[in-house]
Amino acid sequence: MRGIVFAKRTAKEILRDPLSYIFCLGFPVVMLFIMTLLNNSLPKQAAMSIFEPKNLVPGIAYFGLSFVMIFISIQLASDRTTSLLMRMHASPMEAKDYILGYTLPALLISVLQVCVTFAIGFSLAAASGKTLTVESVLIGAVKLIPSMLIFISLGLIIGSVFNEKAAPGLCSIIVTICGMLGGVWMPVDTLGGPLLKVSRCLPFYHGVYAARHAGFDTSLMISIGFAVVFYVLSVVIIGVKWKKDVA
Amino acid sequence: MEQAILVENLVKKYGTKEAVKGISFEVKDGEIYSLLGVNGAGKTTTIKMLCGLAKPTKGKAIVYGHDVEKETNEVKKIVNVSPQETSVAPKLTVKENLEFMAGIYGADKATQKKKAKEMIEMFGMEEVKNQKAKTLSGGWQRKLSIAMALITEPKLLFLDEPTLGLDVLARRDMWEAIRKMKGKLTIILTTHYMEEAESLSDGVAVMVDGTIRAKGTVDELIRQNNAKNLEEAFVKIAQAATLQA
Ligand SMILES: Nc1ncnc2c1ncn2[C@@H]1O[C@H](COP(=O)(O)OP(=O)(O)OP(=O)(O)O)[C@@H](O)[C@H]1O
Ligand SMILES: [Mg+2]
Repeated sequence: MRGIVFAKRTAKEILRDPLSYIFCLGFPVVMLFIMTLLNNSLPKQAAMSIFEPKNLVPGIAYFGLSFVMIFISIQLASDRTTSLLMRMHASPMEAKDYILGYTLPALLISVLQVCVTFAIGFSLAAASGKTLTVESVLIGAVKLIPSMLIFISLGLIIGSVFNEKAAPGLCSIIVTICGMLGGVWMPVDTLGGPLLKVSRCLPFYHGVYAARHAGFDTSLMISIGFAVVFYVLSVVIIGVKWKKDVA
Repeated sequence: MEQAILVENLVKKYGTKEAVKGISFEVKDGEIYSLLGVNGAGKTTTIKMLCGLAKPTKGKAIVYGHDVEKETNEVKKIVNVSPQETSVAPKLTVKENLEFMAGIYGADKATQKKKAKEMIEMFGMEEVKNQKAKTLSGGWQRKLSIAMALITEPKLLFLDEPTLGLDVLARRDMWEAIRKMKGKLTIILTTHYMEEAESLSDGVAVMVDGTIRAKGTVDELIRQNNAKNLEEAFVKIAQAATLQA
């Protein structure tokens, strides 16, 4: 119950920041438009498969989740600098309420973002004469759930370890790595070599793959594994920090 | 009368820094008790230990019969604190901030609304109730910060420098608000304004460098130090302590 009350507060704080809309909803949508336009204007032989709607839309939906990571880390880091946190510590709130208070709103925004991205991607694909099946859209969205948790966990970890200034910087490094090595903007599969090897060690490649393909594949399994590990890690780190703040 | 606070030989060390060096005092139920002392004397640290925010290094602190170290959760339910730095959720409105705090302490929706309304009335915040906290002036933010502590109906309320940064009129307003609370709950107040302590408190303790140098009623301290008022008494106590060191 306390967790839900705190989650509402966090959701309000994030949703009342216009930047949240620009980055979490505006950005993926703009990317979709630009990349669709680009892909449609490329001559057939130059077309890249990662920019085909069936790859582009899940890719951007995945990439958009990395922005949720930025927002949640900034919110957490800035909350830690305020004395509102002292209030929360003095209240009967426990670490689990606090963790829930960031996870729930982040999850809500992630789901919203994925829905919007797929809906617009679906329409854009149809408009440019390349249909995405409803089935692939639904499966892609569901298969993104572990990835949502991965980015939320990363946001929680970064936000609770680093300050307001360092957190966004660190997050943008992850966003860049995710975009490149995840295969959203770069065809890592066809590049192969050591790059692909590195990609395969990171969660991003698998998350993107899972979103682009139907079926219960190893990529999904790996994503779930990463999600569990990262989330547990974030819970442990926040739990320890929560106790330590009360020294 | 019931005892609100009992502190015995309370010590707090941060690494090698001893912020509080074995203090003892008692506060009765319904009193306003002031902790006075220059910057860094250990007032905030004492408050933090008494509301379960900081673990005492040594000594004993009992709040309404509960040991702050062993029964922290019990203590947290019956105390609240208005921190030295104003602490509100910036993008929430005054009303939402109040409801949020009530919710954190377990009030249901209807109760949250009802209590928020009471606080808005009590602190005269009607005109700003739908304004986001970050857009309020410092004085309003302070009032909100205190109302957020009071809304949980604590038996014991800590006000850490409640009038810091307020203009003369706003300060008097705040005194009025504090007087209104008097008797309904126990209040521990810290302040750098002796006039404030003199006009509000039943008991005072003067802290210097982590120890309590004098304690008693305002009148007692004034008499013992042959002073005209509390400010003069305070200066004498603080200077004597510094000379000794
Ligand atoms: N978390 C901490 N780590 C290390 N030292 C600390 C910490 N908190 C307080 N101190 C030190 O303990 C001493 C007492 O600090 P405290 O904040 O209790 O003083 P205060 O009486 O509230 O002062 P002020 O009137 O300026 O608010 C100071 O020397 C301060 O530097
Ligand atoms: Mg202080």
